[in-house]
Amino acid sequence: MASFLLRTRTLSKSPLCIKWCSPSISTTAVRNTEPQIKNDIALLNPEEIEHKKKLQNYITVEGTTDISPITGIPEDYIKERRVRIYEPPKNCMQSGTNNIGNWEMEFDTKERWENPLMGWCSTGDPLSNMKVQFSSKEEAVEYCEKNGWQYFIQESKLDKKFKPKSYGVNFSWNKRTSFN
Amino acid sequence: MIVDMLRVTLNKVLNGAKLCPKHIYIATRAQSGEVKKPEKVEVFIDDKPVHVEPGTTILQAAAMVGIEIPRFCYHERLAVAGNCRMCLVEVEKSPKPVAACAMPVMKGWRIKTDSELTRRAREGIMEFLLVNHPLDCPICDQGGECDLQDQSMAFGSDRSRFTDIDFSGKRAVEDKDIGPLIKTIMTRCIHCTRCIRFASEVAGVDDLGTTGRGNDMQVGTYIEKMFLSELSGNVIDLCPVGALTSKPYSFTARPWEIRKVDSIDVLDAIGSNIIVSTRTGEVMRIMPRVNEEINEEWLSDKSRFSYDGLKRQRLVTPMLRDCNGELKPVDWEAALLTVAKVVKNAGPAIGAIAGGLADAEVLVAVKDLLNKLGSEALCTEHTFPLDGSGTDLRSSYLLNNKIAGAEEADVVLLVGTNPRFEAPLLNSRLRKAWIHNELEVASIGPKIDLRYEYQHLGNDPALLQQILCGQHEFSKKLISAKKPLIIVGSETLERSDGAGVLGTVQALAATCTGANKDWKVLNILHKVASQVAALDIGYIPGVDKIRDNSNLKVLLLIGADECSIEKSDLPADCFIIYQGHHGDYGASIADAILPGAAYTEKQATYVNTEGRAQETLVAVTPPGRAREDWKIIRALSEIVEAKLPYDNLNEIHVRIKELQDFYMTDAISRASPTMAKCVQAVLKQKQSKY
Amino acid sequence: MAGTLVRITNLTKNQIGAFAPVINNGHVAFYSGPAAPPPGTPPAQTKTKFGPLADEDRIFTNLYGRHDWRLKGAMQRGDWYKTKEILLKGSDWIINEAKVSGLRGRGGAGFPTGMKWSFMNKPSDGRPKYLVVNADEGEPGTCKDREIMRHDPHKLVEGCLIAGRAIGAKAAYIYIRGEFYNEASNMQVAIAEAYQAGFLGKNACGSGYDFDVFMHRGAGAYICGEETALIESIEGKQGKPRLKPPFPADVGVFGCPTTVNNVETIAVAPTICRRSGAWFASFGRTRNSGTKLFNISGHVNRPCTVEEEMSIPLKELIEIHAGGVTGGWDNLLAIIPGGSSTPLIPKKSCEEALMDFDGLVAVQTSLGTAAIIVMNKQTDIVKAIARLIMFYKHESCGQCTPCREGVNWMNKMMYRFVDGNAKIEEIDMLWEISKQIEGHSICALADGAAWPVQGLIRHFRPELEERMCKFQEKQRASC
Repeated sequence: MASFLLRTRTLSKSPLCIKWCSPSISTTAVRNTEPQIKNDIALLNPEEIEHKKKLQNYITVEGTTDISPITGIPEDYIKERRVRIYEPPKNCMQSGTNNIGNWEMEFDTKERWENPLMGWCSTGDPLSNMKVQFSSKEEAVEYCEKNGWQYFIQESKLDKKFKPKSYGVNFSWNKRTSFN
Repeated sequence: MIVDMLRVTLNKVLNGAKLCPKHIYIATRAQSGEVKKPEKVEVFIDDKPVHVEPGTTILQAAAMVGIEIPRFCYHERLAVAGNCRMCLVEVEKSPKPVAACAMPVMKGWRIKTDSELTRRAREGIMEFLLVNHPLDCPICDQGGECDLQDQSMAFGSDRSRFTDIDFSGKRAVEDKDIGPLIKTIMTRCIHCTRCIRFASEVAGVDDLGTTGRGNDMQVGTYIEKMFLSELSGNVIDLCPVGALTSKPYSFTARPWEIRKVDSIDVLDAIGSNIIVSTRTGEVMRIMPRVNEEINEEWLSDKSRFSYDGLKRQRLVTPMLRDCNGELKPVDWEAALLTVAKVVKNAGPAIGAIAGGLADAEVLVAVKDLLNKLGSEALCTEHTFPLDGSGTDLRSSYLLNNKIAGAEEADVVLLVGTNPRFEAPLLNSRLRKAWIHNELEVASIGPKIDLRYEYQHLGNDPALLQQILCGQHEFSKKLISAKKPLIIVGSETLERSDGAGVLGTVQALAATCTGANKDWKVLNILHKVASQVAALDIGYIPGVDKIRDNSNLKVLLLIGADECSIEKSDLPADCFIIYQGHHGDYGASIADAILPGAAYTEKQATYVNTEGRAQETLVAVTPPGRAREDWKIIRALSEIVEAKLPYDNLNEIHVRIKELQDFYMTDAISRASPTMAKCVQAVLKQKQSKY
Repeated sequence: MAGTLVRITNLTKNQIGAFAPVINNGHVAFYSGPAAPPPGTPPAQTKTKFGPLADEDRIFTNLYGRHDWRLKGAMQRGDWYKTKEILLKGSDWIINEAKVSGLRGRGGAGFPTGMKWSFMNKPSDGRPKYLVVNADEGEPGTCKDREIMRHDPHKLVEGCLIAGRAIGAKAAYIYIRGEFYNEASNMQVAIAEAYQAGFLGKNACGSGYDFDVFMHRGAGAYICGEETALIESIEGKQGKPRLKPPFPADVGVFGCPTTVNNVETIAVAPTICRRSGAWFASFGRTRNSGTKLFNISGHVNRPCTVEEEMSIPLKELIEIHAGGVTGGWDNLLAIIPGGSSTPLIPKKSCEEALMDFDGLVAVQTSLGTAAIIVMNKQTDIVKAIARLIMFYKHESCGQCTPCREGVNWMNKMMYRFVDGNAKIEEIDMLWEISKQIEGHSICALADGAAWPVQGLIRHFRPELEERMCKFQEKQRASC
């Protein structure tokens, strides 16, 4: 995620940013110079090349693994913290629905204070500003388990019984749906 | 933020289509429910086939395949108005676009939501809406969460051609004064009439309407008057532009600089789901969060606007009463040591009273602590009849049929309750059922305005007996009803004849069981958020046990502020500890004050009147030296050498579960034995003098 | 006014499809092929020359109020003659006669009346049915219904009874324009007379059919002539049009099935029933049958309301009945042929136009209510149209966006155009705006406001451009 972020940022600074979403941008540009011979590869023996290739591939691990020892997140950030996994509801102020329908995870809020210098809000906690979106609850759970975070799932009651809307009931003669 | 945006964009690019997972999810959700009904209509939305019930509107059908049609006037919880025309879409073979929000689909229709005709229609409407809309977004409170802004970006033209700005300019409309909660900037109004429909349909107040005609049409109260409704704040959310905004919130924050924290409202026993918006450690506003089973997407005004009370009269530091009888601020160490000494000396002669805002965690911690000290004197401020089965059965003090269940009822008997003020969102459900379900409501109690018609039977509890005996004309209605509900206000049960009322009501509920076995007739409506959790955990309702205890040495008030007990009720040497967040009545009689956290400042569990446990989340840090309540008790327990066996929230939750599951298995899973036990309780009740 | 407000494209094919069960059940001939005309098809027209109408073929024989308008006079002119027999023939027969006559709604939209009535023939679900007569004649230039109501009110009262019988209505509501004081007064007298004579009320005309007629006076809003706004107004609400569907035939006044007809449509029904539909169909071209009241106003020598045969050439109509254009035919600038909401046509089109539905569509306008507004060369045509738009701006109900905002915008621009205080590109912009208004609103008032502007731009663009050039020159000169 971070690398993506980085790449997008650099791209957006370059003049090519107008078309950044097209697939051609990330691939090669036309090269005019001759291909360079990579000395380090040329000098290696076959076993070493094999080993190097292996290192370039992904390592697949069965089942979920706790990666918290190698993520570099300080231990006291992981202990005591509770991750909430939830389904964000529609914003009541707006009618758009493009930001909902997914699952999110967030950390609990830690102490915040008003910065005496500027009056801005400060926090010593980098995690509580993080919201990660997932397409399903299971993905979120898996992600938390992988990172060794304690989580709880908050189910939202967003389902509503479907009922066809009718304009005609506004003028119904025997129902209370007609007003005035 | 950027990460989120990137993810969404990437998703779209990768999928190569508009159908993101959510849409598939919604579609399957919608379809799975409809498989049973055979007579469905097939229509094509942008060539995607969808099977819908006859009568479904184009807009609804499009939502099923994940296509969102822009709208301003349409709102799924309000009647269809069809007047903003933003939802115009092309229907194949129709010469002109049709309003998707009002037009029911016909078999085989091919609807094009992204055709040239559709897009031009939207652009035209957008232009017309903006012609007279002031472009004061930079100073508009709606800016950043405004439908008009969003939709003009998505569907509007990229430039203005309103040349008349150089000649006659735009329309200006006088602002209306509709009370201290809602600020009106009527020049921004786009006349979608959502607020009018909300007022007349949901709130039941016909105060809002339109006057004038054509371009001079104005939305307002016909005569200058306050929009007097306990749900009025919702029009702020409903307004798609900045015409109706929150007065207390005005000019205080912008939506992109606030943090939103999902939480639970505790100011009534409904437990509405809320979003607390904060900035720089301050609660800026409270908005509703959708929960179909509780508050839908509404919020009562009390819950929405009382947040400024969280900043005033707070207890920010521990205090002890000195020899002059004055409360002096001290540090935690001094306070806890003093309190611990008194508690230790008292031994089992300690009692506790839980107030209306206490959370389940602190209730458990206090109970465990007092039990360890050998005391059982744990009371709640609000009483509840203990005759018969008392509070042993969870179903005898819950709103058993759930809030959403009120929508399906056909006959409702309100006993000594005014749901309009005690639980506005239950009242809005009842009103909804009254409108859409031809619900009949009758009430025993004072004559009040419920915002819907009801039969006022009288103010005499003896009426209940008459109905039970079949002497009253209403008893026929109640017994023949398929889904009857009896909602009893907890306040009534606090009266001296409360036990008698409850007994009669229980008997009545047993006689009219309705057609459905799972339907639960008897419902208790509580007034405060803590009551159900306290009863679940095993607190004794009412403070009599404290009052009768003549050798009480220490009294712990957990936010008990409702004057249920006075200093004169207690022995003269009784030491009063007040733990809470506001300097109210409880603090004024206390000898020691331990400052706690309010509901926006702690992660805590509340159980609403339905018996539904929900969690608040930390939105802001407690002010000053105030701390989360259960932690204070936990710290105290260590000093008095009765250490509580939990160190963090997870562990205390395990403990709460232990306590609650006991009740849950007893009451909820075995619903029908409950009724039998109720009947037994009633028989016992009949022998009593009430 | 009213009917002009009903859109000409009121029923799209799809929507007609919605009625398919009703239509296919028995007798509809509207879109049928030549092979086998189903029952109810008007006989084909063989005439090629239309008008002038012979006196014995006139339906409204007291149009000018020269005779007694009360019951006695009306009966002398043949009203209420054998009404009982007509009623006893039953609803199917009356609807069939209406179909055979080829009568199309006289309020402007021209929807076949027989078919409209047949929509009401669905089996009853317990709700009563109502007939609503639209007498809210407010369209500038239109003055036909008032002549009927003040000089021949019994034609309308009898028409209500017959049309009511045809659709099985329990009662008729006559929604009359508030400003029509004398008309309302005469109507009320006529209704009272009919009740006293036993023609209305319980066992109307002795036919065993109970029928009531009520008058409802409006409060002066033009929009209340739109059928659904009229229904709202009768119900006591603000006169704001409803969306369709549901059509009034399904959910109308007080939530019950309702047919809304123009005064003239209803008033000709008794004569059609007495003299047969085929007689009525013998006037005018196929699909444009009948006689019609034409109102001729503006720059003519003798403005008048006259009953004439449909399909009469426009020029002939003006020459014969209105004494020609002031200053002679060559002094003619333009004509608005169907009330203020229809697009104007220039002199050239006026020469060839036939006054019927199809004839006027052929010259890019419409028959509307057949209120001919003649403008000769002394007219400031831009100002005239601007004034019409101002009327529509004032009468827009404000419910839906395109009309509320768009018509006001057009009004502002039109008044600048009058002075020429605009850029030439703005003419195209105005055209586009009028197109964005047209067909996007709930009712047809916005269409009626857009069409005059479109007509003006279509035929008088050079005039507009010239004014703008002149204005700019003047500005430059003064600098």
